[in-house]
Amino acid sequence: MSNRAELIESGKPFAFDAERDAEFERLAKRYPNRDSLILPSLWLIQDQQGWISVESIAYVADRIGTFASQVYEVATFYTMYHLRPMGKYHICVCRTLSCYLLGKQQIVDYLQQELGIRPGQISEDGRFSLEEVECLGHCGSAPVVQINGEFHENMTVDKFKELLSTLK
Amino acid sequence: MADTIKLSVNGVEVEVQAGKNLVDAVAAVGIEIPHICYHPALGADGNCRMCLVEIEDGRPPLVPACKTRAVEGMKVRLDSEKIKKIQRDIMEFELINHPIDCPICDQAGECILQDYYMKYDGAQSRMRVPQVVKGKKIDFGAGVVHDQERCVLCARCVRFTRLITKTGELGIVNRTDQARVNIFPGRPLSNRYSLNVVDLCPVGAMTSSDFRFKQRAWFLTKSKGICHGCSKGCNIFIDHNREKYQDDIIYRYRPRHNEQVNGYFICDAGRMTYKQENEKRLRTPLASGQQADLESAINALKRRLDQAANPFFVVSPNCSLEQMHAIQQLAAQKKATVSGFSEGYIQEGDGDDWLIQDDKAANRAAFAVLGIDETKEVFNSALKGADLVVNFGNDLSLSGVNNTSLGTAEMAFIGSYANSCADAAAYLVPVASYSEDSGSIINVDGVLQRYETAVKKNVPFPNMLSVIRQLGGGLDDVQAARTSLGNTVEAFKKLDLQNIPAQGLALTASEVGNVTA
Repeated sequence: MSNRAELIESGKPFAFDAERDAEFERLAKRYPNRDSLILPSLWLIQDQQGWISVESIAYVADRIGTFASQVYEVATFYTMYHLRPMGKYHICVCRTLSCYLLGKQQIVDYLQQELGIRPGQISEDGRFSLEEVECLGHCGSAPVVQINGEFHENMTVDKFKELLSTLK
Repeated sequence: MADTIKLSVNGVEVEVQAGKNLVDAVAAVGIEIPHICYHPALGADGNCRMCLVEIEDGRPPLVPACKTRAVEGMKVRLDSEKIKKIQRDIMEFELINHPIDCPICDQAGECILQDYYMKYDGAQSRMRVPQVVKGKKIDFGAGVVHDQERCVLCARCVRFTRLITKTGELGIVNRTDQARVNIFPGRPLSNRYSLNVVDLCPVGAMTSSDFRFKQRAWFLTKSKGICHGCSKGCNIFIDHNREKYQDDIIYRYRPRHNEQVNGYFICDAGRMTYKQENEKRLRTPLASGQQADLESAINALKRRLDQAANPFFVVSPNCSLEQMHAIQQLAAQKKATVSGFSEGYIQEGDGDDWLIQDDKAANRAAFAVLGIDETKEVFNSALKGADLVVNFGNDLSLSGVNNTSLGTAEMAFIGSYANSCADAAAYLVPVASYSEDSGSIINVDGVLQRYETAVKKNVPFPNMLSVIRQLGGGLDDVQAARTSLGNTVEAFKKLDLQNIPAQGLALTASEVGNVTA
């Protein structure tokens, strides 16, 4: 990921939709300290619009009643929060030990060639983005790939070929 | 006196105050434990690790001194090889990405990194990789300009906005060597104490757009003073310098620690009042409406005063106790009414519950102590019969008195700053302002404080006391005024006005009994 200190404006106001609003209110009752709502709120934003914009951070900061700067800190610290729009299919390839040893590089090489993007980039048509991530916790079935949050285990280049055809 | 405890530092026993952390406790007896992120007003954060010390009592080998309470019998080691190595390592770590732009950095000369490098490091850089590039001269608002590359991420500024002003404009964003202090887009620094982050910053990352590049820190004479921006009387450093072939002028005010009055901070508005000490000053004496030299202006005013049938003295609530006392004495001699009418100095609702006060005058509390009337009624009735109004620095236009409402009376103005009253004066005597004079003032909380002459102009303005003496007053100088105050004013009879403690003297309720807060 490039400079995570820079936030991007979406250009339109943000508010939780009804479903996320209800979830926010449900979570709000759970935490005695409202600052604890920052992490789940950022997930809700990402769930709703796919990435975290300036407007959405300002919205949750005001909603939680904390400083926008504090939400800004948290959002830029954790790399799993996307601070810019990602591809329609966001592909995370695990690069930690088990996946590394069992050939994650072949998968990354294949994807780079097939999609024309390197890790950290988004394809020109906006359909795919590729990212190498740290351990996804599925070492028993390495190498593992996560596409929009969904796990694909024991991945091989051949299996990926098949998978990609269903995504395109 | 607080309880004391004994502990040993580097094998030497010292006696320190109980209940403090190690950094503060041993600093009071002159032993420095280097620290970057710790600041007494912001509490211990423990992020810089520069204050790690060894305690020889079997506890884990190293503790941060800022987070460790000093207790009886503690054996602290600062001089072991292990500690020295840690200090060197922390310094090396802080300097990895620190730009070596000290020659153009405002902080140079008062920078913790420079000082600690000389004391605790002194090593050559081992870095062979390019330095991390971050943002330069970012406008944080409120006159604060930030340089992210110089920042050591001590978080003092962040903690100030979160813990002290509770406005939370600043945060440390991103992570690892990309971490930096920033504002949230569109929400700049917008509290009335913002510029304190410049003083808090131990390095040159936070700079004041007002002071940037104006002076090198080592050229500045740092004199103690008291801010006259409002009735709080915050303690300040007046940083001034006389450049070659120039006059002595003030470049900035900085807060000076006084727990009894302002703690470690001052407000931004007060900080900027240094400007009127340099500019907005009255310079040309007038005698009967004509430009004159100082002596003839004072003599002309003296003759006019001697002839006046009904002189009326107006006092500024910014005058010092000594000046007010001398004015009162002169008034008694000339049978003049004295009024301190100055309701316009009070800006209702402008103050807050911390330092900023509604009353923008520094010494109004003294009116009550000295018995100077400040009601509008007395002012108006005295004005009606007066043929000469001698105004001692009171900007009446603030209180809604314009020059036409002064009627036929002739005006004399003895003051430091230009205003419409001075414009209308037929007799004008420019005098030294508080930064060039010595005096005592009482703040809104009844704390009596003293300020001494800080700035010495090439051609000094006369001080108000000497002008009053030349007009016929009986007090020779500020010492005589203090003695006389002590002899004549009930509230000061038991006090030693010549020797007010450095932190000020809180007058008891009976001494300021009739002072309305």
